[in-house]
Amino acid sequence: MIFFTLEHILTHISFSIISIVITIYLMTLLVHEIVGLADSSEKGMLVTFFCITGLLVTRWIFSGHLPLSNLYESFMFLSWSFSIIQMVPYFSNHKNNLSAITAPSAIFTQGFATSGLLTEMHQSTILVPALQSQWLMMHVSMMILSYAALLCGSLLSVALLVKILYVNERINFLQNTSFLLFRNYHRHQLIQQLDRWSYRVISLGFIFLTIGILSGAVWANEAWGSYWSWDPKETWAFITWTIFAIYLHTRTNKNLQGTNSAIVASIGFLIIWVCYFGVNLLGVGLHSYGSFTLTSN
Amino acid sequence: MLITMASMSPSKTQGQTLLLRSPLLHSSNFKTHVFAFLTNNKRSQSASLKIGVVSKLKTITQKEKETPISRKIILSEGKVPTLSEKEEVSTKSQKKTEEIPVMGLLKKMPRKIITALANLPLAIGEMSTIAALMAIGTAIDQGEAPDYYFQMYPEDSPLYGIFSWRWILSLGFDHMFSSPVFLGMLILLAASLMACTYTTQIPLVKVARRWSFLNSAEVIKKQEFTDSLPKASVQDLGVILMGAGYEVFLKGPSLYAFKGLAGRFAPIGVHIAMLLIMVGGTLSASGSFRGSVTVPQGLNFVMGDVLAPNGFISNPTKAFNTEVHVNKFSMDYYDSGEVSQYHTDLSLYDLNGKEVMRKTISVNDPLRYEGITIYQTDWSISALQILKDNEGPFNIAMAPLKLNGGDKKLFGTFLPVGDTDSPNVKGMYVSVFYLLHHFPILAYEPRSMLARDLQSIVLYDLEGKFAGVRRPNSKIPIDIDGIKITIVDAIGSSGLDLKTDPGVPVVYAGFGALMLTTCISYLSHSQIWALQDGTTVIIGGKTNRAKIEFPEEMDRLLDQVPEIVNSSSLQKSFDSL
Repeated sequence: MIFFTLEHILTHISFSIISIVITIYLMTLLVHEIVGLADSSEKGMLVTFFCITGLLVTRWIFSGHLPLSNLYESFMFLSWSFSIIQMVPYFSNHKNNLSAITAPSAIFTQGFATSGLLTEMHQSTILVPALQSQWLMMHVSMMILSYAALLCGSLLSVALLVKILYVNERINFLQNTSFLLFRNYHRHQLIQQLDRWSYRVISLGFIFLTIGILSGAVWANEAWGSYWSWDPKETWAFITWTIFAIYLHTRTNKNLQGTNSAIVASIGFLIIWVCYFGVNLLGVGLHSYGSFTLTSN
Repeated sequence: MLITMASMSPSKTQGQTLLLRSPLLHSSNFKTHVFAFLTNNKRSQSASLKIGVVSKLKTITQKEKETPISRKIILSEGKVPTLSEKEEVSTKSQKKTEEIPVMGLLKKMPRKIITALANLPLAIGEMSTIAALMAIGTAIDQGEAPDYYFQMYPEDSPLYGIFSWRWILSLGFDHMFSSPVFLGMLILLAASLMACTYTTQIPLVKVARRWSFLNSAEVIKKQEFTDSLPKASVQDLGVILMGAGYEVFLKGPSLYAFKGLAGRFAPIGVHIAMLLIMVGGTLSASGSFRGSVTVPQGLNFVMGDVLAPNGFISNPTKAFNTEVHVNKFSMDYYDSGEVSQYHTDLSLYDLNGKEVMRKTISVNDPLRYEGITIYQTDWSISALQILKDNEGPFNIAMAPLKLNGGDKKLFGTFLPVGDTDSPNVKGMYVSVFYLLHHFPILAYEPRSMLARDLQSIVLYDLEGKFAGVRRPNSKIPIDIDGIKITIVDAIGSSGLDLKTDPGVPVVYAGFGALMLTTCISYLSHSQIWALQDGTTVIIGGKTNRAKIEFPEEMDRLLDQVPEIVNSSSLQKSFDSL
């Protein structure tokens, strides 16, 4: 019982802190740089990270297995990964412009997980025999980490597209110049930064996705004797991998860079959601542990 | 392979040596041979000592064995290959490759086809097509009878107005992942991969490995990142860069340093790993055996009877004659009563009856014997052993019952009404058959017994009312309508999957290579040029991937370069150049 209340408390704390942090960010966007608050938002994200970590550890201890066995737990893990990605640039002394993307993502995933849609999954459950394996830790955690990184990166690309289209329209409104002539140096800088950040984050996510898919294949071979069986979830993970491989290839050629790669990454955003979430709605196949039915409660 | 060269020219005042200790040279990746030769050059007054270091780079790919391609390039003073501008290799341009004996065969193939296949937009198109086909493959139910498709996609109301069952069946979309369309696209992708690696990636390696000095300040200033340090010396910069993991080369006032060259090679490794996986997959598809069997506890089977070929080059091996005996099937339970694991104790006997292997398998822990693997995938209950009025034991077969939805199992049987002395074999089979088709009425059948797992049996009496629960081995009898029944044992049967697959080692090798090379290609290849211009050092640099981190790293490193304040020491450092 104590674990349950502890979980409850931690969830609520992290949820509220993220809401506060997002409010601070919004305020700094609208009202310029309030210096004191900027630092506290970083601290806020740190506290959130510890809260979610505490939540996951509690669940781990209570249920005896890594908390990754159904959709609720994987959503919590996803919001944890977002908070990690949030913190990594902070610790390597980069200017943190990812936070506008990661913080809301963390809160949305957490909010969805704790919402009424998934109440029957909140309880820690036992692992079925097929999931009792060391590979569970590696495969699922890699996949969720990769989803987090790829989602971040593709959201950055979406932001990039929005920025480009917005800037393009303004310039066309002001005068008929070509796309490349930027009046505003800072806007150009921002677009370039977004572009580079999204490339780097997506590359990292791609590595995790590769490791996740391949470890899943090896696990499947150990458990069922077949490393690839065109299960819907497997196939969609492969499709995600292919889309981001296309993204990485479009960036090698200078002509296709910029807008085109951002479009590919934005398509990738949708595909990740289909892979992670949409396939589970079907409820069939080898990955049926993650499935659920939408109950209106 | 990498060549580094340092030139040492003894000056008039003192012998100055510039020894470059590069961390890479002493790492396990390189085998280094150092040889020095003295040349007498007519142009310069002093003898200059050349040190050439020849290293062999241990390559990552599986295909190259322990015979690395090693080449020696000997350079002499003054004839350093200088490229005034190092260009980015565009994927569309053609590069002349040097003669490599292995590739000589491929030169016969028309050059145009290879270049056409290595075209990047074509590759992107192929990948998108494959992705789209896979998505379609998940949307359309695979492997159903044609009748299903007639119903789902009728001709009179086709999907989106055009797609009826004719489209699906003729294009092979009902078995998408083995259809000619899909396999054709995969083959095309493989061809593109090979063509691209040959035409673009391998020349890229040669270009990237060549080092170049930039001797003009204007060119350096045009780099992506550029800075200038007044009152500094280019040797100090070199030392700082070496401390940061760069390989540094110094020639006179000019410096060239690079880091992360592996990041340029790794994409080749990725492509080769993917080709390896494809080869392994093809081997699996054409040469494997698979089979499923449900064996009641205590019985056995011969592997060869169960394994069926799954391709056209499948060859049975001697191990197929092995006999597998199920000694015991058991299940573990959680405290809540749910199943936690299934175990099967197996013994393998060869043709002579000698036991060659014994192992208890469970899910995620298969048995491997001579290339054949046995997996625990399923289970069922085959029979109940009961004592009736202390007579017996009788074995009553249990049949699986179909539940609506879920994957919980239920098995049922019943005790036939009538004289137990008469051989009622026919009656028993009939009753099991009856059970399979008339589950709802089971509750009303005489003395029925249901079991969800091997733990407990639920018994019902003649009216179908609940009579009691008994655990096997508890030896407690239960009285149902005048007959005393003791459940002695619930005999389970184990569901086993057998498989042999020659492609698995190849595929695993490809997986490992892919994981490794993908990680390595995250590295960014950074290059820095510097020039000593009077007392100022002009620095320029670029990197191919880490464009965000690079300027910050450079700023940090340049801050560490010491500023030279003493004018006499400044003079000394210039005498040495």
